[in-house]
Amino acid sequence: MPIPGVNITFKNKSGGTTTNYDGEYELNAQAQDSLVFAYLGYQTQTIAVANHTQINITLQEEENSLGDLVINAGYYTTTERERTGSIEKVSAEEIELQPVVNPLQALQGRMPGVEVVQQSGVTGLAASIQIRGQNSLRNSPGNNGNQPLFIVDGVPINSSPVRTSGLLTNVPGLDPLNALNLANIESIEVLKDADATAIYGSRGANGVVLITTKKAKNQSGKLQIEARMYSGFSEVSHQMELLNTQQYIAMRQQALANDGVEATQYNAPDLVLWDQNRYTDWQEELFGQTASITNANIAVASGNETTSFNLGTGYHKESTVFPGDFGYQKLTANVNINHHAKDQRLQLNFSANYGVDQNELFNNSLVSLATSLPPNAPPIYTESGELNWENWVWEGNPIAQLEKKHTVNSTNLFTNFNFSYELFKNLNFKTNLGYSHLNNNEVLKNPKLAYNPENWNNIYSSSTHTDIQRKSWIVEPQITYTFKKDKLQLEALAGLTFQQSQDDLLVVIGNNYSNEQTIGNLTAAEEVRVNTDETIDYRYSAVFGRVGVNWDQKYYVNFTGRRDGSSRFGAENRFANFGAIGAAWIFSEEEYAKNVEWLSFGKLRASYGSTGSDQIPDYGFMDTYEPTPGPGGLYPTQLTNPEYSWEVNKKLEAALELGLIDNRIQFDLSWYRNRSSNQLVGYPLPSTTGFTSVQANFPATVQNTGWELGLTTRNFTSEKLKWSTSINLTIPRNELVAFENIEQSPYQNIYRVGEPLNIALRYRYLGINPETGFYQVEDINNDGSYNYDDRVVIQNLGRRYYGGLTNTLTWGNVNLQFLLEYVNQKNYNFFTNYTAPGNYGNKPVEVLNAWQQEGDNTIIQQFSQSSAANSAYANAIRSNLSVSDASFLRLKTISLAYNLPIKDLAVGIQNAKLFMHGQNLFTLTDFKGLDPQTGMSLPPLKTITLGVQLNF
Amino acid sequence: MKYKLIILIFLMCSILHSCQEFVEVDVPDHRMESSMVFNDDETAKSAIQGIYNELSRASFSRGIANSVNVLAGLSSDNLTTSIETYLELQQFQEHELLPDNTNNNSLWASAYNIIYMCNAAIEGLESTSNVSTEVKSELLGQAKFLRAFCYFYLTNLYGEIPLILQTDYRANALAYQVDSVQVYEQMILDLNEARDLLPSTYPEGERTKATIDVANALLARVYLYLEDWSQAAYYSSQVINNQSDYHILTNLEEVFLANSQEALLQISPRGLGATSTNTPEGNFFIITSTPNYLRPVALTENLIEHFETDDLRLTEWVGVYNDNETLFYYPYKYKISYATGANYEEYSMVLRLAEQYLIHSESLINQNQLQEGIISLNKIRERAGIPQLDTQISYTQSQLLDTIAVERRRELFTEWGHRWLDLKRTQKAGDVLSEISPNWQSTDQLYPIPEEELLSNPNLIPNPGY
Repeated sequence: MPIPGVNITFKNKSGGTTTNYDGEYELNAQAQDSLVFAYLGYQTQTIAVANHTQINITLQEEENSLGDLVINAGYYTTTERERTGSIEKVSAEEIELQPVVNPLQALQGRMPGVEVVQQSGVTGLAASIQIRGQNSLRNSPGNNGNQPLFIVDGVPINSSPVRTSGLLTNVPGLDPLNALNLANIESIEVLKDADATAIYGSRGANGVVLITTKKAKNQSGKLQIEARMYSGFSEVSHQMELLNTQQYIAMRQQALANDGVEATQYNAPDLVLWDQNRYTDWQEELFGQTASITNANIAVASGNETTSFNLGTGYHKESTVFPGDFGYQKLTANVNINHHAKDQRLQLNFSANYGVDQNELFNNSLVSLATSLPPNAPPIYTESGELNWENWVWEGNPIAQLEKKHTVNSTNLFTNFNFSYELFKNLNFKTNLGYSHLNNNEVLKNPKLAYNPENWNNIYSSSTHTDIQRKSWIVEPQITYTFKKDKLQLEALAGLTFQQSQDDLLVVIGNNYSNEQTIGNLTAAEEVRVNTDETIDYRYSAVFGRVGVNWDQKYYVNFTGRRDGSSRFGAENRFANFGAIGAAWIFSEEEYAKNVEWLSFGKLRASYGSTGSDQIPDYGFMDTYEPTPGPGGLYPTQLTNPEYSWEVNKKLEAALELGLIDNRIQFDLSWYRNRSSNQLVGYPLPSTTGFTSVQANFPATVQNTGWELGLTTRNFTSEKLKWSTSINLTIPRNELVAFENIEQSPYQNIYRVGEPLNIALRYRYLGINPETGFYQVEDINNDGSYNYDDRVVIQNLGRRYYGGLTNTLTWGNVNLQFLLEYVNQKNYNFFTNYTAPGNYGNKPVEVLNAWQQEGDNTIIQQFSQSSAANSAYANAIRSNLSVSDASFLRLKTISLAYNLPIKDLAVGIQNAKLFMHGQNLFTLTDFKGLDPQTGMSLPPLKTITLGVQLNF
Repeated sequence: MKYKLIILIFLMCSILHSCQEFVEVDVPDHRMESSMVFNDDETAKSAIQGIYNELSRASFSRGIANSVNVLAGLSSDNLTTSIETYLELQQFQEHELLPDNTNNNSLWASAYNIIYMCNAAIEGLESTSNVSTEVKSELLGQAKFLRAFCYFYLTNLYGEIPLILQTDYRANALAYQVDSVQVYEQMILDLNEARDLLPSTYPEGERTKATIDVANALLARVYLYLEDWSQAAYYSSQVINNQSDYHILTNLEEVFLANSQEALLQISPRGLGATSTNTPEGNFFIITSTPNYLRPVALTENLIEHFETDDLRLTEWVGVYNDNETLFYYPYKYKISYATGANYEEYSMVLRLAEQYLIHSESLINQNQLQEGIISLNKIRERAGIPQLDTQISYTQSQLLDTIAVERRRELFTEWGHRWLDLKRTQKAGDVLSEISPNWQSTDQLYPIPEEELLSNPNLIPNPGY
């Protein structure tokens, strides 16, 4: 059987090709050259060219598949076998079929030590990612010191979520990587330990995510085409179980009866004004639609012996689960050109990825309305089909919210040019040039139509226009040197980085449109006001280097270091040094180990080093004023501290890698300890200082330790049936190990020394007071009031352990793959999102079990809307009652593919595949709320798609 | 081949050298270095203009849901919530305030933000020699006046508070509370300095900045609260006697217009940076449909009952909205709920002459100068169209003080929480409010120090009862 896509390279120089779908290749080689044939899962073979004009080989399936799997370490590459650092890799096959927009989402559950959390089911929203836990105390969406460094094809990207004003998207914002085409991603590597990240110096503290797009390698002279399309449906994965009308009315009447209050249109419009029998399932109505999803991709590749190219384009379209005509679409195009001179000394590579996307939404998170509107609320439409406003006393007609159109258009360009020239034998000069440009344009409309016509004379229609530009260029000249003598091999690298980024933000507001149709066209607004106009400049430069030495392919030592400077710091503290050492010992190569039958591979590795973080707002050290919104005024921008400096993150790691029984069992166990000190925080201050924070270093140390386990077993490897299983498990432990004078600091009631950072300090829940029927929490110091002195229950809201289980089964032409994600954690439950039972607004069915008389054993207080009830409830939701188990097991992805037998196909088609893909199909959890992960935001969507792939 | 290497090394070295300079950035266009702000007259003026602009955005002074005006109004018997689901406002009305109430927090925080701006301006002005003496003294006067103004409300609402007089956040973050006596001493010091520094006329005829008489007016109020009757009488008479600038307007509809002759100090809505409302108060109070979150408060019937039927203030300054036979009374001092364009007809009133007459009257009566006191009181009653007190009849001092209390309530409702502060300073809060608020406790006279403040400053002590 011919194998397409086999990589053929020269052993003694750069350059190479890949096989086409017939397994054929052509390559210009000289007699002294040797060719290396490599393909994932097969043994790599090296053959000397000598005087052959045709070299036909049969690849053997690899038993030792650790082999030569190439790992991108950023400035250099290594292999799975030889790496000294902790690097995880996910390759194209695992992500390209997933019906998601954002590459990060495709990583969920796949890598140990990498927490990817999708914040809501709204398409386009940034997923949060944390590599080996929270290092920095700064963890708010606007100022997050825990974001890894993102590099797309060698160009660092400002990966912080793109600010948006729409209520569906403002937390945490949109993902700047949305415009990348998933189908064009070759691999995503995540660098975790000091050895891998220290070369990124001040930006490596939180790990590094390397996204590599597909490179041109076709030298066959033939045109290869791959076309793929899928489409399918999504809906929300879970809805709350809420009261029906009968139960709701009974609850409300009971509450008023308990309070001894008569229902009036002011305290209970739901009982007085509204139909007592009407029922609407508001969740179904407001976020229960079925969304459709369509994706199409075409990729073309060709080339000759010196020049190859890839061209590709993709289209993706999704509608939403909300009513109305909303949705997301993106169009991408990519090109990659690879050229090398015939003598292989000069190499050029150019890649460009361009994406345009549009997110059409509306400015309201209907989810909270949907889960709290009384079930007997008035109809949405009148009999004549118009929006009904009658009796919508408090909320207003929810469907009218759809009139607040929110459109985000963005374009995103990533380009990269790589130049490499062999100056002398073994000495190369390389330059990496990159440019990226994100333009995000948002229009938010606020028309009168969204409001009750009765109020129209008090409301003016308006629109908010936000324009964001993020431009960044980078130049990185480098010299690499390789040296080999006897058993000694040495690779060295030295380089410089210059990077400049400019972020522009312009917010313009148009007020008083005379005509509803023209809203959004600023020329039609009576008044146009510039709300924000700012340009932020960020500059960064560095010197970096690496020396990697190995002896006899058994002992490896790797030194990396960087000295870098960032414009985010004042003149005194602008530069700092970072470095690491990593070492590995492949003990299975030792003579005494070679005799051990069952041991096919064994490696011990360890690393130690320091990295930093400069993820803080720009200009923080400058003492400045800026214009007030009102005319002619200036006001102080912030409190300033010119003296703050880098956060230092010291990482230690030790790991054992084993391959047993011909590598059919691969086992990888690592232990790490990261300590971040000199915490650089927007140090919260009391308002008496005039502001609520100032940028400062703080004598606090945060420690992340943990165990990471990877286990891959190949259960069946027969020709007919192949089955492999891989498991990853992470047991993290986050701890605030030291915090000088925490009692005297603003953090005394936020953190506890010896506890994780992500904690909730809660009152102790005492149950229901048998006299009042209301919640009671413990007044620890008996001072008659409830405050932080009484919050003695510490709840860890971080993950206790998490992991993923992947199974891949191939039976003939059929391939089945699925990933289960498991997370053990606690989260805030529904209590926090609802008012006290008995109040206006629908409630979860759990409230039916409310307290009625002394002796009732329940966790729901008596129905009441009195202020005593509400303050008892307010205390209870600050007690441990409101935090509960939110562990879950989720079928994250499942895909089934069928390769059509080739002989049945039309001429020209080399390969055809049908596939089905499912996302979030089921979730097992005890959590009470919409979703254990997203809490009360729109739950992740459940998606099923069907597709076909053709290769010509 | 060697020369290539040398060139390369040379190139690398020179690039390395440029690293240092490469990472320096300039102050961005949208900002200005603080040291430059107090380097000339114009930008120094902008810094003070900035404080006045911010008064129209700051929660405590904006006149709507987070402001002294509304929150203290709810705590007194003047305002009530008209919807039952605005729990944070209801806490004020029912005297069931929790320390984490966000309205309470933003009231506090916004006042201290203004104080910071005052302190920064004072420090900047005192340390510069590039601002002309004349401009410098006027601006210093403005900043000191504004600082005293903020402290007046803070200490009256919260009791013991941190007295912040400089900008070093390290010290300010750990500041201890001082008792209100000390705060008052500082206010008097600031206001006296302001009187020496401020001009006697309004710049450009806009009554939106402090002058000597504005400082006199606040000083009169400060002495009234300290029960230093002679000083209160003295400073209020200073203002009253400036008849070229200030008059009690006979037409009630004109009182709250921009730069009205009765105004001592107003906040221009221009500072909001938006032109779609006139005053925030007008937009917030005027009810034209069933009350909702945007218009959640109404006047109490108790207040309405205290007006005599032919009181012009009832007919001109109170509006009524009939919602399915339920009447909602609302403050109608500001007539414009919503306006288009930058055509500001109304400004938000901060200090006005009528209050000075009432201060004058009260301090004279307290000094047993009853007749003179009645004359000042009658000035207000006359304009309101209600019978004047006969100076020939012998009222007792306490009768007159009771009349003044009612008069203050009717005259000054929904203007910066006078009623709440009056009830407290005259020790009537318990008697009056326990009648209408079943949860009343004497500790409710002070608002809680916000929970976030207690969290971030370990030296703060919660107010009793919270």
